Amino acid sequence: MNVRSAVKVGAVALASTFVLAACGSKNSSSSKESVNFEESAEIATMDQSKVTDVVGFTQLGNTQEGLYRLGAKSKVKNALATSTKESKDGKTWTFTLRKNAKWSNGDAVTAKDFVYAWQRTVNPKTASEYAYLFSGIKNADKIAAGKANYKTLGIKADGNYKLVVTLDRPIAYFKLLMGFPTFFPQDQKVVEKYGSKYGTASDKLVYNGPYKQTGWTGTNLSWKLVKNNNYWDKKNVKMDTIKYQVVKDASTGLNLYNSKKLDVANITGNQVAQYKNNKDYILRKQSSMFYLQYNMKKQKVFRNAKIRKAISLAINRKQLTGKVLADGSGNPKGLVSTGLASNPKTGEDFASEAEVKSAVTQNLTEAKKLMAEGLKEEGKSSLSFTLLGDDTASTKQITEFLQSQIEKIPNVKVSLQNVPFKTRLTNSSDGKFDVVLSAWGADFSDPISFLQLFVTGNAQNNGGFSNKQYDKLIKASNTTDATNPQKRWDDMVQAEKILMNEQGVAPVFQQAQSQLWSSKLKGVVYNTAGVNFDYKSLYLTK
Amino acid sequence: MEEKMKLAPDAFEPVSKKDELDDEKIVAPSRTFIQDAWRRLRQNKASYVCLWILVVIGLIAFTSPITASHPNTSNPNYANLPPKIPGVNINGFNGTSVVAGKRVDAYKQNHVPSKVHYTLGTDYLGRSLAQRILRGTLVSLLIGLFATLIDLIVGVGYGVISAWKGGITDIILQRIIEVISSVPNIVIMVLLMLILKGGMLPIILAIAFNGWTTMARLTRAQTLQLKSQEYVLAARTLGESTFKIAVKHLLPNLSSVIIIQTMFTIPSAIFFEAFLSYIGIGIQAPTASLGTLISDGQKNFQFLPYQMWYPAIMLSIIMIAFNILADGLRDAFDPRTARR
Amino acid sequence: MARYLVRRIFYLALTLFLIASITFFLMKLMPGTPLNNQAKLTPQQIKVIYEHYGLNKPVWQQYVSYIVDAAHGNFGLSFQFSDQPVSYLISSRIGPSLQLGGQAMIVGVVVGIIVGSLSAIRKNTWVDGTSTFISILGISIPSFVLAILLQYYLGLKLQLFPIADWGGFSYTVLPTLALAASPFAETSRFVRTEMVDVLGSDYIELARAKGLSRIGIVWHHALRNSLIPLVTVIGPLTAAIMTGSMVVENIFSVPGIGEQFVKSILVNDYPTIMGVTMLYSALLCAMLLLTDLVYGIIDPRIRIAGKEG
Repeated sequence: MNVRSAVKVGAVALASTFVLAACGSKNSSSSKESVNFEESAEIATMDQSKVTDVVGFTQLGNTQEGLYRLGAKSKVKNALATSTKESKDGKTWTFTLRKNAKWSNGDAVTAKDFVYAWQRTVNPKTASEYAYLFSGIKNADKIAAGKANYKTLGIKADGNYKLVVTLDRPIAYFKLLMGFPTFFPQDQKVVEKYGSKYGTASDKLVYNGPYKQTGWTGTNLSWKLVKNNNYWDKKNVKMDTIKYQVVKDASTGLNLYNSKKLDVANITGNQVAQYKNNKDYILRKQSSMFYLQYNMKKQKVFRNAKIRKAISLAINRKQLTGKVLADGSGNPKGLVSTGLASNPKTGEDFASEAEVKSAVTQNLTEAKKLMAEGLKEEGKSSLSFTLLGDDTASTKQITEFLQSQIEKIPNVKVSLQNVPFKTRLTNSSDGKFDVVLSAWGADFSDPISFLQLFVTGNAQNNGGFSNKQYDKLIKASNTTDATNPQKRWDDMVQAEKILMNEQGVAPVFQQAQSQLWSSKLKGVVYNTAGVNFDYKSLYLTK
Repeated sequence: MEEKMKLAPDAFEPVSKKDELDDEKIVAPSRTFIQDAWRRLRQNKASYVCLWILVVIGLIAFTSPITASHPNTSNPNYANLPPKIPGVNINGFNGTSVVAGKRVDAYKQNHVPSKVHYTLGTDYLGRSLAQRILRGTLVSLLIGLFATLIDLIVGVGYGVISAWKGGITDIILQRIIEVISSVPNIVIMVLLMLILKGGMLPIILAIAFNGWTTMARLTRAQTLQLKSQEYVLAARTLGESTFKIAVKHLLPNLSSVIIIQTMFTIPSAIFFEAFLSYIGIGIQAPTASLGTLISDGQKNFQFLPYQMWYPAIMLSIIMIAFNILADGLRDAFDPRTARR
Repeated sequence: MARYLVRRIFYLALTLFLIASITFFLMKLMPGTPLNNQAKLTPQQIKVIYEHYGLNKPVWQQYVSYIVDAAHGNFGLSFQFSDQPVSYLISSRIGPSLQLGGQAMIVGVVVGIIVGSLSAIRKNTWVDGTSTFISILGISIPSFVLAILLQYYLGLKLQLFPIADWGGFSYTVLPTLALAASPFAETSRFVRTEMVDVLGSDYIELARAKGLSRIGIVWHHALRNSLIPLVTVIGPLTAAIMTGSMVVENIFSVPGIGEQFVKSILVNDYPTIMGVTMLYSALLCAMLLLTDLVYGIIDPRIRIAGKEG
């Protein structure tokens, strides 16, 4: 998903984060367990087909359930599926569903609910932004292009408790997708009952996950997740209530935490310096990468690899993450975020294996040299361009920093343009930029989530980077090598190296979330990609 | 009493024939009026002090391109250093700050050479806060002054025309004012900022956009009064052009109203700029204004209080000085209040 | 009076119509769309979304239907919350804003009257100096600074009131104080000026000559007469509170309109921006109208002017 950067500074953040409180009252006479969390932005929608932001995905991930739940390190665990059968060619998947799963309105969760949900999402009339994730499932691409009816999608219910999915090509990360809310079932009866109002308030949808949501009116700043008594595995849900409060101002969140109104707070820049050694401090890596894209379509100079390399070499990323952001954000090793996936054989992290040191370290002398050479080749004496970025406080800081760094190369002038998140995205897709600071967060824990972006012609490839070898490798990883994990892995490592050596994009930093997390609160499952937080087994220690 | 005092001995001497007899020429009254006001203003100690404070701040701000020539030079290794004045060992001025409950020497921690010190500390990019405040004051003052200038030109012109023409013109112009002033000013500013974006000019325009209506109303009311005065009537009868009457007779008599209103407009423009910065649609980085500095500092208030306090104090001093001065001027220009 | 009222309401409607038209076309100049990320959508999907929001029609048709809908209090669908009508968004959030605004207005005006009168009665003493200074301070500190100072010292350090959130009355105390600063300052300055004027007038001299007590004079004559003009500043005070609420609601996590407006600006949610703009304008227009009516009733001198228009 596209990522905005305000996460820490409060204004409009996407990232989900919380604060939980021992919930005041000491009269915990009953065994009711309750915590208070904080979100940094409102819920935009609870409709699985329409949700696009992390707040929404976190809510859905904890109130709904699909075939699998993802454990720590994105380990796939059966949820609604009790058994899975994959055909030899990897193109047919048969799932057997559990029979005791129910919606919160008492309806049984059946294979038909999956079929309905998937068809609804790929139906162009629904206009789901996440329909693209279905690419690879039979006929999904044709449906998206309007060449086939949405009912021809490769998913079928064989009776109430058997689900058969057919694919156009093997998808190596297919199981991970099944743990993502976009692929969860929906109760047709309820969706049709509420029509366009479906998912616009807590009481306008039904739940089949560990929690039910209550109190969200569609626009308000606080709501609750309460234990779902219709959940098939309710005996393993310890928490009775999770209270949510939207807090947009970072210092307000910290104040609430310090006054014990909240036990978890998101902290930012300078607050991190203060609490780094606190016992409650937790650094949560995220799979969100910030990188520069050069508009090679519009600006001829950026087609020159030397100029791109020079700009990247001018940036002292260590200084950015250590001194300017100072919030736990990490230096990038490449485009693919650190901690996302590990080598199927050796267990080595993808980012380390594919690291190209020269692509992410500062070398000002080299930068000056390359820039001079590059400009000479282009027949120019100077370079001036506009750097486009979000208008949140933290992005403003980052772009200001980048400006001062890049301008250390003689004859280079950078001007800044900070615009709202959506405008940045629109300008990026329309090619209205010279250089843009973009951000991407992986939807599932596989390097391809990043790497497929820069294939020639990909809609997210705003700069127009194109490299035949790169395209070939990515294609191989998706087709011929898809069923061979090791070979697929090597393809991706090579592709990343090409991208970095060519500096098709320049990674700037990997976002992280620093939190103060009450030591009483245990059992949370955190993943850097997809649904970040799973509270199913959350509990309080005394 | 005072009327008598003004009679100078030369008033009794015959007018020399060489002098042109020009009844309309108003030379003395407006000057004496200003002088009179000036005298009364000086008696109002608070206002007088504020006037000088503003003069000093103005001087500091307008010389800041020379004195603070590098407000945007960043040095991230020196980020967020607290204020340090060599030789002063008082917490808050000795380069120490409290980190996680313990007071540490931030300069030592960041390996800052001993001869480097920042009197007011540094910001998140290691830029000198002192330099940025000086330049920010300049930017804020410029925004205030130019927004007020637009107010002045548009508002006074509009008010005078409206009152002078009267009739249907007046009615239409007044309706327009009514429409504009019934939109909350903040909404207009936000809408304009969304469309214009960025630099100083859009902010000035956005702030001035409905600020001038008050000025227009005041001048209109005043002009309506003046219009019926005998000397204006006389000038008209003598065939003086409207423009000349406006410049020679109306403006000098409007001056007190205008000056007082100006003194109120400048600080409110500065204030609105700060507000726009806070909600994230103010001046573009890396340019600093007092507003951007305060809203940046506000985020770190608990741990780096100096980043908020210094620009906030600067802003407050300017605001207070302008307001007290405006009060003083109002009294000074209004003989009634001065007498009591 | 009735004719005057009809005329005023006509002008009010005209004003709102003009504002609606201007904001509509201003917003059309802006690049915003309801799409989050067009790169992820197919042209067909984009078409569906545009149809859903009525953006596929020619601009003049959009304009006509916008004006007609707006007259019925319907401002379309929000861009940021999917399928959430702006009118619902506004109605579900107006409560806290009205409560805070009302409380701040009352606190600000009442305290302002007290401080202003004290200042005028004890003119040129230390009482006057201090209160003048405090009221000037009230308009010299940005509300976002005042708000976090209150939150930090009264909320966190002294633990007197909740730091943020929205619940019972105690949650409203800090935001109310932060919001009340500006109306307080305006009122006290205004009252002081008026009261100084009144205290110097002949009928007060007369009352004094008759030997009425000081308190009696202030209470029966001065206060009443100096408060009448105060009605005229209610319009500007309303506007000031609207401005302040955007900041204060954000800092104290109050689910109000101001907070929503700021968010909408940051995410280019134009239907919401337009809706809130109309709401604010209507509110201010109504306040101004009310002001004039009330003023006409309580001050007999105005009635004549009222007839003129």
